[in-house]
Amino acid sequence: MLKMNNISRIYQTDTIQTHALRDFSLNVKAGEFVAVTGPSGSGKSTFLNVAGLLDNFDRGQYELDGVSVQGLKDDELSRLRNEKIGFIFQNYNLIPDYSIFDNVDMPLRYRGFNARERKRRVEEALEKVGLASRLKYLPSQLSGGQQQRVAIARALAGEPKILLADEPTGNLDSLMARQVMEILHDLNKGGATIIMVTHDPDQAREVSRNVQVIDGQLADFRIYAPLERAEGNTEKTAVVSAEVADA
Amino acid sequence: MRSASMFSYNLSLAIQSFKRAPTLYFLIMLTLSIGVGVLCANLALVNSMASNPIPEKSDTLIHISMNTWPEDNPPDEQPLYILRYRDAMKISESGIGIRSAVFYASGVYARDAESKSMKRFDSAVRATTPGFFKLSNAPFAYGSAFEKSHGMEIVIGDELNQKIFAGENSVGKVLELDGELLTIVGVLKPWTLRPLFYHATDGHAFSLTDDIYAPLETAMDLNWSIHARSSSTDNYTHVAQTRDRDVYYLQAWLELPSSNDRQALQSYLDNYSKSLKVAGQHPLAIRNELHDVTEWLVVNKVVDHKILAFTLASILFLFVCVFNASSLLLSRFHAAKFEVGLRRALGASNRHMLMQGLTESVLLGLFTGIVSLLLSWLFLKLSVSFLPDLANIAILEPKVLLLGMLIALLTSVASALYPLYRANRYTISAELK
Repeated sequence: MLKMNNISRIYQTDTIQTHALRDFSLNVKAGEFVAVTGPSGSGKSTFLNVAGLLDNFDRGQYELDGVSVQGLKDDELSRLRNEKIGFIFQNYNLIPDYSIFDNVDMPLRYRGFNARERKRRVEEALEKVGLASRLKYLPSQLSGGQQQRVAIARALAGEPKILLADEPTGNLDSLMARQVMEILHDLNKGGATIIMVTHDPDQAREVSRNVQVIDGQLADFRIYAPLERAEGNTEKTAVVSAEVADA
Repeated sequence: MRSASMFSYNLSLAIQSFKRAPTLYFLIMLTLSIGVGVLCANLALVNSMASNPIPEKSDTLIHISMNTWPEDNPPDEQPLYILRYRDAMKISESGIGIRSAVFYASGVYARDAESKSMKRFDSAVRATTPGFFKLSNAPFAYGSAFEKSHGMEIVIGDELNQKIFAGENSVGKVLELDGELLTIVGVLKPWTLRPLFYHATDGHAFSLTDDIYAPLETAMDLNWSIHARSSSTDNYTHVAQTRDRDVYYLQAWLELPSSNDRQALQSYLDNYSKSLKVAGQHPLAIRNELHDVTEWLVVNKVVDHKILAFTLASILFLFVCVFNASSLLLSRFHAAKFEVGLRRALGASNRHMLMQGLTESVLLGLFTGIVSLLLSWLFLKLSVSFLPDLANIAILEPKVLLLGMLIALLTSVASALYPLYRANRYTISAELK
């Protein structure tokens, strides 16, 4: 599903060169739930941004669902983001003066679906997160957990190949965090591929694989549970292990 | 279908954007509207001054200037744009051209001869040969032109017909003009010539068309005085005496079959002047000048250079307004950076965002256009209240309104270009921070 080989991302100012990602390689199979952990400033978010095509990379190869992203034009990258990726942000990133319906509808607008299809998808996505009755609410009328569920519904509405979650429970209390994690696990059980950046070691332990990033490099990985859906994952693990050893 | 749906979505986003920052958008609109409004008001003046009053044949209507002044101390201007009677008649009767018009401006007091009221109307008169009407494409509402330069017949304009006969068909009715009775044979429709090409001299370029058109010889015989420039070396006590004296006051126009026939007219005039010179009646060098309508309006500096300078200044002012609007939009787009980033993250391309921004600026441009045109109307009203002479040219014609709307749209889009470029320049991850 996601293949990164020797990806480097360097931020350059007049005097300083920062290697946010350094020969970073990772292979994520369809159906995996991967947690990316690491200390602040280690490159987790940069990885997620590059993976989500929100940021460029300077070297390496990146293939998303069989499509090599190098050299793609803005229109093509946008279409990839829209069709294959669902984003869940730490701060929910809902537009405050849009209704819940309009927030979830937003990515579908750029897909070119007609009004009936958009309505069906929005309602289905909100149904999945238990907010089908709040279509006309504004984000400010919902709790933090509910807002994050709306963000999850927005990510799901386009039926993406992969969900990228950047500390999805970082702003939630433990109860709400639990609810959001349950939704993500349910989605994964339903076949969704998820990559989640998190600081929470407990959450990292709950998923099928934990990848640790330090100084822009893959430092460690662990498999906490057998993956029924990610066929051939053991082989993949060996590849990742070899790359870490090389690094 | 898809693009129509995207357009309507962009339109709804634009309206939402206006609602989010109404004060800011109002300021942007006002800034641009003032700039466009001032420019538009100036363009309205320039348009009136520079427009071609008779485009269908402006290159074949020729005004004639000659220097047949009989002494070697001519008035300052040479050649003279006014002719003496015998020169003008010679040209008129030469058979050159399709038709000719020889005329002078006069004025009388007019009243309905059958009315019990003694109320008289001060009326501008054009004492002219009959060719004037076809030459100038004068539009008739009732009746027709008089056919001879003699006869107690007149054609009246719509305004006088409204005043005296309430706009009714007054053909056959009799007007008393300075005590003389003349019969109306034709009534014109409302007629505006802007500029008044046939009398663009003496500051009359933006005067109204005349109230009464009378046969030239009749006006002279009735001693209707000359209400325009005249120069003479002879004295006279009655206008009829000017027929054989050196009194210069008549303007002459010829309509040629085509603009290529100017050379033939030039040769005819030069030969005529040579014959005068041979007879010892042309002491000055021969210099006959021909101007078509456009050239004649340029020669008479109908377009005021001060207005042109002010128009240039208002263009510069508009640039300042665009710059200010752009700065305001930049702050607005900066505030919306997060939303731009979010939309791009969720699948909007730079092209989508550009179209969204352009839709917003076009909508803003439409509002700006409407306010601009209201402001330019207001500016023109104010101008006329300070400078009443502008009354006949301070007019917003449809093409000026259209141009104003176009300028408003262009300036609105231009104001948004740099902010749009800035808004889409960063990586999405940077915009989302």
